[in-house]
This record gives sequence, structure tokens and C-alpha cells, in this order.
Amino acid sequence: MSALAQPHPASRTGAAMRRLVVALTLFGALLVAMPFSRSLFAWLFPRLERPLYEQHGFVALVLAHLGLVAASGLCAVIVGMGAAIFVTRPAGREFRSLIETLTAIAQTFPPVAVLALSVPMIGFGFGPAFLALALYSVLPICENTISGIEGVPPSAMQAGEGLGMTPHERLFRVELPLAAPIILAGVRTSFSINIGTAAVASTVGAVSLGAPIIIGLNGNNTAYVLQGALLITGLALVVDAAFEAIQARLQRWNAG
Amino acid sequence: MIRFSGVSKAYGSLSVIEGLDLEIARGEFCVLIGASGSGKSTVLKLINRLEEHDSGEIRFAGEEIRSFRPEVIRRRMGYAIQSIGLFPHWTIEDNVATVPRLLGWDELRIGRRVDELLALLDLDAVRIRRAYPHQLSGGQQQRIGVARALAADPDVLLMDEPFGALDPIAREGLQAEIARIHRATGKTIVFVTHDIDEALKLATRIVLIDKGRIVQAAPPREVLSAPANDFVRDFLGREDHGLKLLSVETVAERMRAGETAPANGSIGAGDNLRHALSKMIATGAKRLSVTGSSGEIVGTLHLSDIVG
Ligand SMILES: Nc1ncnc2c1ncn2[C@@H]1O[C@H](COP(=O)(O)OP(=O)(O)OP(=O)(O)O)[C@@H](O)[C@H]1O
Ligand SMILES: [Mg+2]
Repeated sequence: MSALAQPHPASRTGAAMRRLVVALTLFGALLVAMPFSRSLFAWLFPRLERPLYEQHGFVALVLAHLGLVAASGLCAVIVGMGAAIFVTRPAGREFRSLIETLTAIAQTFPPVAVLALSVPMIGFGFGPAFLALALYSVLPICENTISGIEGVPPSAMQAGEGLGMTPHERLFRVELPLAAPIILAGVRTSFSINIGTAAVASTVGAVSLGAPIIIGLNGNNTAYVLQGALLITGLALVVDAAFEAIQARLQRWNAG
Repeated sequence: MIRFSGVSKAYGSLSVIEGLDLEIARGEFCVLIGASGSGKSTVLKLINRLEEHDSGEIRFAGEEIRSFRPEVIRRRMGYAIQSIGLFPHWTIEDNVATVPRLLGWDELRIGRRVDELLALLDLDAVRIRRAYPHQLSGGQQQRIGVARALAADPDVLLMDEPFGALDPIAREGLQAEIARIHRATGKTIVFVTHDIDEALKLATRIVLIDKGRIVQAAPPREVLSAPANDFVRDFLGREDHGLKLLSVETVAERMRAGETAPANGSIGAGDNLRHALSKMIATGAKRLSVTGSSGEIVGTLHLSDIVG
């Protein structure tokens, strides 16, 4: 009997976890230090009367921002994955091109346009922002779920069927787990984009880290813009590191 | 155990199986053999309902197979597929445990069963249990495929070229193991191959298939001694037909029992005559001592016993 191949090095998981810890620590430090940074920004921008954004607490802004991204992302995951699963079943095959067209249209629509159009219909605030972000994320998630499911080795599918798994068991034990890394890559892409896009949501009155930026731009307060941008960047790094950590764990079984 | 009566199957306009009549008895080791595309895999898939037959009737344990839910019948039949098809995201342990988990066995029983199977297939459980399929060699993966098929102790084993990816040595080892498993458990095995030597070695009955029809269905010796037609003769290989005849007879059947004076070489009583002849040619000995299971001399085999 030949020797076992090298066990897969846990290095990717380890590196990803370390990166997550570093990103979290830096972001936490930034968040804690921000309210005490008035003198720093006063020194950087001596002509500003109010160098530190104080309309909302920074922690509240971060939570609201994250809440908006997570809620819309979760909605997009449910809709996008649901649609992808449906069109890869025998019963839904004929709806495949329809779904693909719909999600493609949803993505060509710029989020700003969705914001502008939905305000007259559902008013200001969280609603239009949620809608714009969710719509925008459906495509990458749906598309990746479809290609993930189609990438499942036919031999594994045949084995699952031949060993007596029901269609339901095949979906949850074989197809989705094997497609998971690709699905997660789609979720990661849309979350990353949405963390940036959620800033725009403040133009329609949703609370997010975009608030200091928009107010800063309106009032020529570069310090506000910088504070908002710093926190958004930090948050984006944390979320990305978190996804990397999950992906690394998922791919333990992979040769790569 | 499994009975085909007038079964036909077509893919679109391509007729693959035509009017198949075949009864596979309980405990039989039935080997389906034929050229590529002759419909061997399709016959297996008809048995576990991966494919539905168009006409005729297939019965399993006396019941028309359509009266079973497909999942139920498949879990009662171990299936080793041609392309192995291990689940890449599961450890070896989880792969082997596939059907027991589907059947809801408790984890303790599953763990014991996995150990038992890995040992049966000569795999090092400690090292392999938690490995992933990509960490194993092709031969090890094929063993796991066989272990997975055996896991829930099914009544019937369907094996589609299960040793296709193996080198000759590993192949012989696994052939011996499957023959041993068959002897020990008395399972009904339906086995597909396109290797005639494998078929001769393993089968209690060989079913030769050509273009979806049975050309001959008979025990190996009968296929060799009375080939039904030229197609069968060609399949057996005209050149070494005689050697193949020797390969299905054991030394014990031709030896002179009781002649225990030691000769220059020895051969096991259970070995086949082809092996014995080969040994005589290689060593120049015209007679060999025949040894029993514990190594004692039980008789002698002379060259004239083989050729005569
Ligand atoms: N799903 C399918 N759709 C259409 N044709 C098929 C399908 N499966 C098999 N066939 C055709 O049916 C015929 C028999 O196929 P089968 O797989 O049973 O052959 P086989 O004897 O197992 O061959 P091999 O030794 O190459 O595995 C072939 O001509 C093949 O192309
Ligand atoms: Mg085949």
C-alpha cells in the first residue's frame, strides 16, 4: 500500500484566522480611538470649526451599516440561492434563461437609480437602501450558485443517486456542500461591493457610515469624509478577512 | 434473486438492450462481459433503477422492481460505479458510511462497521479514516468504492468495472479479496468487466453480451469448452484458448493424491493448472509436489496430468 499523500496543510486556515484577528484588532482600535481624535483632526484640518463628526456615535453607525449590508445580503442569498437551486432541478430547468436574464437586469441597474426610483414608492430611509443593495447582490450569488452546482463532479452525483440518496439528500449532502466554496465566493464579492455601496444609502436617509461622508461633502468638511472613509475601509477589511477564514475552513477537503 | 424477462431499453432511437432474459440466482457471482458500448453498465442501472426499462419485466426478490421506491431498492443493493465517484468533501470514513447513515444506523455501529470494512479491504484504518479522497492513490480509492458498496451489508452487489483503474498486481489482490468476500458471505454479485481473464477467474456464471443481446450465459468452464459461436471464440482469444481452459481447473482436480514423495518444486492444491504449467516450464520440473492449506504434501502433479 502506497504511503498517504501529505496531509493537507492547515496553513491556509491558520493564516486566514491570523488575518482576521489582526483586522478585528485594528478596526476595534480605530473605533475606540475615533471619538478621542478631535485634536488630531483639528491639527490636520485647522480651518474646520467642527473637526470631528458627532451627529451619531461611530459605533451606532458601524452597527447600522453592517445591519444594512447583512440584512440585504441575507435576503439576496435566500433569493439568489433559491432561484439557482430551482433552475438546476429538473422541474425548473426551463426557467433557467428567464432567471438569468432577470438577475442580469437587476445588476445592470445602478444602485443609485434604484434608490432614486424607490424613494417615491417606499419613502426615505432603510427601505430603498435595503432594496437597492439586495437587488444588486442577487446576480453574483445566483450565478455562482448555478456554476457551483454545475461544477459538482458527475461521478459524485451518480454515486449519490446509485447509493440511494433522495433528490433532497443529494442537494443537501452532495451538491450544496461541494458548491459551497464557489457560492461563498459570490457572497463575498457582493458583501464587499455592498459595504462600499451602503454608504450611498445615506443620500436617501438611511443611517450608515455614509452619513459623515455625505454631510462632509455637502458642508466642505473633509475631516468628516475621512472619518467615514476610514471606518468603511476598516469594516471592509474585517468582513473580507472573515470570509477568507470561512472559505479556508470549507476547503479543507480540496487538493489545492 | 433478480430476473429479467424480455427487457428492452433504448436511449431515444438507439436501442441498447433488446429482449433480455436472464435469471440471476441468490448467491451467484454473475459476470457480465462484452465490448465497450455493448450495454453492460445499462444492465446494472436497470437493476437499481438508475435507468427505467421500456418494456418487459424485472423482478427483485420476486417483486417487480417498479413496486419499490428507487431509494429503497438502491440501499438494498451495494453499487460500485465505473468512475468510483467518492465524495471529495467527505473523509474516507464518511464515504464508507454513506449508506448506513442514509439508513439511520447509530454512530457506534457505523464506526465499528467502517473499521471492519477497512480491515476487510486491507486498508490501514488509523491512517486512512480521516483522510480525504484526493489524498489516496487510485487503487486505494477503488478499494474505498468497494467498501462503500459493501457497507450496509446489502443482499446484492452491483459492481461496474470496479478494478478498472488498477495495475495488474493491485488488481489481482482485489480480485482475490472479492472472491473471498463472495465465498464468505454468499452475496449475490453482478459484476461488469471487459477483461475475460477476470471473468474466468471470478464468475460462477459468465454472461457474454453483444449489442444488447446475450450471446452465451454459462459457467466459465462451459464457455471455454463449448463456446456458443465464433463471437465467443474471438472473445476468448483463439491463441491462448488452451491456457484459459487450464486456468479454470485446480491442481487438486488432476493431481495424483497420496503420492507424497517430495518433488523438485511445489504448488498449492487450490492453484489453477495454468499456474502449475507455468511453474513447470519456468523451472524445468516435470512434476511438482502439491501442498495442502497448511503446507503439507498431499499429492503430486505430473506434466502428463496437465496435458493428458
Ligand atoms: N444516458 C445515455 N444517453 C444516451 N445513450 C447512452 C446513455 N448511456 C449509455 N448510452 C449508450 O448506450 C450504449 C450502451 O452503454 P453502456 O454504458 O451500457 O455500455 P458498456 O457496455 O457499459 O460500455 P463500457 O464498457 O464502455 O463501459 C452505448 O452506445 C452508449 O453510448
Ligand atoms: Mg460501462
